Amino acid sequence: MNAEPSSAAPAAKPKKVVSANPADRYSGAGNTPDPWDQCALLDYGADRSFAWSVREQVIATPPEGRERAEEKLLKALASSGRTEAGLAFVCQMLAMVGAAKSVPALAPLLRDAKTTDSARYALERIAGPEADAAFRDALPSLTGHFKAGLIGSIGVRGDTAAKSALAAVKDDAKEPAVVREAATHALARLATAKA
Amino acid sequence: MKPLSPLTRRQFLQNSAVATAVVAAPLILPSGLRGQNAPSKKITVGIIGCGNIADGHYGPLLGSPESIRVLAVCDVDRARRDSAAARVNKDYGNTDCKTYGDFRELNRRADIDVVFICTPDHWHALIAIDAMRNGKDVYVEKPLTLTIAEGRALVDTARKYNRVAQHGTQHRSMKRFHDVAEFVRNQGLGKLDRIDCFIPPNNRHCGATWQPEPVPANLDWEMWLGPAPWRPYNSKGCHYNFRFISESAYGQVTNWGAHYLDIGQWALDMDDSGPVSVEGHGEFPSSGLFTNCTNVNFTVRYANGVPMHCRTRFEGGGTVRFVGERGWLDIARDKMSASDNNLLREMQAPNKKVQLELSNNHHDNFFACVRSRKRPIADVGLGHRTTTVCNLGQIGMVLGRKLQWDPAKEEFVNDDVANRLRTRAMRSPWSLA
Repeated sequence: MNAEPSSAAPAAKPKKVVSANPADRYSGAGNTPDPWDQCALLDYGADRSFAWSVREQVIATPPEGRERAEEKLLKALASSGRTEAGLAFVCQMLAMVGAAKSVPALAPLLRDAKTTDSARYALERIAGPEADAAFRDALPSLTGHFKAGLIGSIGVRGDTAAKSALAAVKDDAKEPAVVREAATHALARLATAKA
Repeated sequence: MKPLSPLTRRQFLQNSAVATAVVAAPLILPSGLRGQNAPSKKITVGIIGCGNIADGHYGPLLGSPESIRVLAVCDVDRARRDSAAARVNKDYGNTDCKTYGDFRELNRRADIDVVFICTPDHWHALIAIDAMRNGKDVYVEKPLTLTIAEGRALVDTARKYNRVAQHGTQHRSMKRFHDVAEFVRNQGLGKLDRIDCFIPPNNRHCGATWQPEPVPANLDWEMWLGPAPWRPYNSKGCHYNFRFISESAYGQVTNWGAHYLDIGQWALDMDDSGPVSVEGHGEFPSSGLFTNCTNVNFTVRYANGVPMHCRTRFEGGGTVRFVGERGWLDIARDKMSASDNNLLREMQAPNKKVQLELSNNHHDNFFACVRSRKRPIADVGLGHRTTTVCNLGQIGMVLGRKLQWDPAKEEFVNDDVANRLRTRAMRSPWSLA
């Protein structure tokens, strides 16, 4: 049985919900969340329509609007409720429109084995010395096959400034074979890259 | 990223042991040691990927025991590799065919000459490159690779190590397609107006959401994913259906486009080049596990002004149609028609000015080239160019805007986003380096 409301404490007046989307005000569907907020909360297998909406907007963004799109993605990246699938999605978007501004946010993720692959997905496609430096700086932080993947990205990017660091890895007997082999292939690739 | 499972840790340790051996050993085995050019020598084969697409290879491979010997099979699904080995062993009447769960172990067997790569698309490039670095010739199922960058890396590796590398576009070894390409090349249709490629629709469907499922005991899911971004296992997102998920493939654009767009490339003499623009507007699902295009519609245009359209045909199957000032020719695997039967008769006339190489059997052609060291009928160089056309269509539809393409530089003109989509980073420890 429901308790009667106390006369001393009148019930609060329901707060009127106003949607950002005018069409929703008459749909009865309630407030529609901002896809840019929701995309970082994506779960594997769950509804991905918000992420899809963001993807469509990122793709349609003209060159002059990419910086703004990047900012919105970086805000999503910093979301406290960010999921693993959400991180992967945001990084896939940054792989398309990310620039130097994204590097400070992605660099710590690159150094963490739990997030390095997603960060690498974005950073490998971001040109420029800032991203190159992030890859080189991450070398001491990773081990095993995560380090091998990182080294592979350095090779793919053609960062000739990493040659000496990779040569040291290749010759380090304490490194596992998968890492040394990655360094060998990356150095072979860098040998043909323009300095 | 999920932590590695205990199984995967063991697998990784095994892999590391293999890699150690590789670092210590020369990457290339001297071909003279294997004597693969000797006509009397049996060419030894390993098959990597034992699913649906490999089924078409057992007949030709097991049907020539006097010259070909399958020594090993590899699949990340134990049930599939065991079944494949049983099939080989039954045919040979012995138990010699070995099984592997990791392609690197098979690629490092010194007694194997050639490798057939029949895995999901996202694995093609890495396995082929690894095989060629280890002295194998390769037959790579279509599409050659998932991305444009992978294709270029694969071709460069084939050239660097002087490997024979066949793309699994067997239309190149079907006389009907050869004759049409040659006829068009000789202006048989007069001035060519356009090429229309029709590809079949997606033949699997899924719901708007999905649930992670336990990985079957027989499957190494981490290795199945390999370079693809991590996701939990779901039975609808694995065998066969991988082609509908953009992390692994580009749907029918690459599955069937690799065949029919390839004939357009052949007829246009574009085996070492490609179109100069693409424009497309496909329909992609906004929900569910499958992410690839459900209704393909794009046009690539060549420097001579000829457009090649590619569209989904929901009934009637795949076909390629050449339309010129003298009429049209429509050709599929099982039929051919024309606007005028005289065109079909003219097509058979001998002594054409331009004569294209004729191969009547894709496997025979490949093995003959393994012995002769000549480039096969569907060399990976042209396979890469055709797969690039598929990729151009995919990227054009994803971006939904007209793109200019420079086939010499293999890059889009003044479109940074499109250029970024030519490649993608791979999950650790994999990379294209």
